[in-house]
Amino acid sequence: MKNIFRNPEKSIAAKLIIAIGALMVILTLIFWYAILAKQEKDITAIAIRYGGSFVNFTKESIHHSMLNFQPDETQRMLETLSRPEGVQRVSIYNHKGHILFSSQKQNVGQTVEKTSIVCKGCHTEPEKSSDLLPRQKKWVVYKNEKGFRILQIVDEIPNEPACYTAACHIHQKNQKTLGFIDAQLSLSFLDEALLRQGLALTAYVVMFVLSVSLFLGIIIYKIVSRPVSDLVHGMEKVAGGNLDYSVPIKSIDEMGVLAQTFNSMIKDLKTAQDQREKWTQTLEMEIAKKTEEIRRTHANLVQTEKLASLGRMAAGVAHEINNPLTGVVTFAHLLKKRFPPDSTEAQDLTVIIEQADRCSKIIRNLLTFARATPSEKGKVSINDIIKRTIFLVQNQEKFHHIKFNIKLDEDQLVVVGDASQFQQIFLNMFINAADAMNERGQITVATRKIEENGKRYIEIEFTDEGHGIKEEDMPKLFEPFFTTKPVGKGTGLGLSVSHGIVKHLGGHVKVKSAVGKGTSFFVRLPLTEGEK
Amino acid sequence: MKKILVIDDEAIVRTSCERTLGPEGYEVKLAASGREGLSILEKESFSLVLLDLKMPDVDGIEVLNKINAIWPDTKVVMITGYSTVETAVQALRLGAYNFIEKPFTPDTLLTAVKEVFEKSEIA
Repeated sequence: MKNIFRNPEKSIAAKLIIAIGALMVILTLIFWYAILAKQEKDITAIAIRYGGSFVNFTKESIHHSMLNFQPDETQRMLETLSRPEGVQRVSIYNHKGHILFSSQKQNVGQTVEKTSIVCKGCHTEPEKSSDLLPRQKKWVVYKNEKGFRILQIVDEIPNEPACYTAACHIHQKNQKTLGFIDAQLSLSFLDEALLRQGLALTAYVVMFVLSVSLFLGIIIYKIVSRPVSDLVHGMEKVAGGNLDYSVPIKSIDEMGVLAQTFNSMIKDLKTAQDQREKWTQTLEMEIAKKTEEIRRTHANLVQTEKLASLGRMAAGVAHEINNPLTGVVTFAHLLKKRFPPDSTEAQDLTVIIEQADRCSKIIRNLLTFARATPSEKGKVSINDIIKRTIFLVQNQEKFHHIKFNIKLDEDQLVVVGDASQFQQIFLNMFINAADAMNERGQITVATRKIEENGKRYIEIEFTDEGHGIKEEDMPKLFEPFFTTKPVGKGTGLGLSVSHGIVKHLGGHVKVKSAVGKGTSFFVRLPLTEGEK
Repeated sequence: MKKILVIDDEAIVRTSCERTLGPEGYEVKLAASGREGLSILEKESFSLVLLDLKMPDVDGIEVLNKINAIWPDTKVVMITGYSTVETAVQALRLGAYNFIEKPFTPDTLLTAVKEVFEKSEIA
């Protein structure tokens, strides 16, 4: 409650209370003033009425003594009449303003000032002319030297036949007004009563204003200020980021509806924020994924380009080397024939021939590698190529002690590519498998359709029971010239070439290996559209 | 006397052939280019031509076509590098008798040459 008056310009309740309070005070003041004024007017009117009748009564009382010309009697009468409480003075003047009789004897013989109500009641300018006012004013209220209000009533004593026919012959027939009777009556009793009434009224009004203000304040605080400050508090909380906050709902009026609407808005906001956060997270993940994809694609591109240029270089080198190698081989053989087979020279030459052979093998592989770029593309059946390749290797000595476990997909599994390249890849896989198992054991070959990241692939699995691949060798597996085979046996180009071909066709190679148990290679090629 | 002409732009390959085949009783003549080979063929007749597939001036296939057209009795064995196996196969289709791959051993060469003469003798 205190808060709302600390900064009234910031509080609706304070503004309301001040506005209503001010209006009430103003209205009450007007009302208070009007009542008091009306009361005073009414009471004064009553006083005038009673004063008037007092004057008439005085007039009638002295009528007899006046007619009979008994001035002492008249004087005595006036003194008697002025005795009751509240009657200050009763005087009778003649038309010139001379006091003829007065309840206060010392005033007799004096002349009334021309500014007095006695003169001004009838004349416009008593000092200068004898002009009369259109309407006579017979009374005036003034304050005496003691501060009390005095009601002075003046009434004319008209001429009448009894007056100018009386025995004393004082008055003439043509005189209209003989004189005036003037009564001065104290209003102090009435003023006291008025004051008391005014005080009581003021007290009532103040109490009324206070109690109404208090009641109004409490009501406004309860139905406006508290809910609004609750709402403001809630809004501050929400603005501060707390979306779990909800404003207490205490009524079903507009404030209650506002609070309810606010709460549901916050709930919506929270839902939206949660969703946005989720989206942001998803987006970040998506970006990270795409970035990784781009990075990988870029790396692949670089790798492919590297391999391609390496291949071109290798082809050139291989061709150039073949010629001198022919010379080396031929002349080593020729020379060898000149020595007895058991001689050291013959044995040394055998080494030369063997090493030249090795060179020749390396060159063959280099040339194979150089040919990794596709030549003649067409629709080929993977299952057919697998069968053909197995048929080819089964007759070779290397595979005499190897059993093939073949599980091919029912469909033909058609892909677009160069059949000889696929054969080269599969052959390479078989040779690697045989080498890993020391040419003994079982090779599992399986083909199937799979789906990965929303894309459909043909997967060709080659699983051996060999020595497996060491963890540290895994990243280098597809690098050209990387080999774990004994010196002279592998060139480190087989997998690299295979990988290059598969990549070129939009596929990839996956490896799973357990040291001592075996290795699985999964060659994945994109499934041609429209094929099963 | 069985006359053999070796056409190869590489001296060491020519020498290798000469040294392998000479002692075996063949009369070997050498040509360093396709053009030279063809001019020799115009003067003398040979039973066999050992022809390199890749040469800078006139391509082996072109030389092969000419030999087939002008001297149909002369057999041709192509000498190829590994990468040109397809071309060698094409050469066979075009009428070459056989092909050997570089680098070859004296035995490989002799076997291939002997085969040509044995077959032609039977024929």
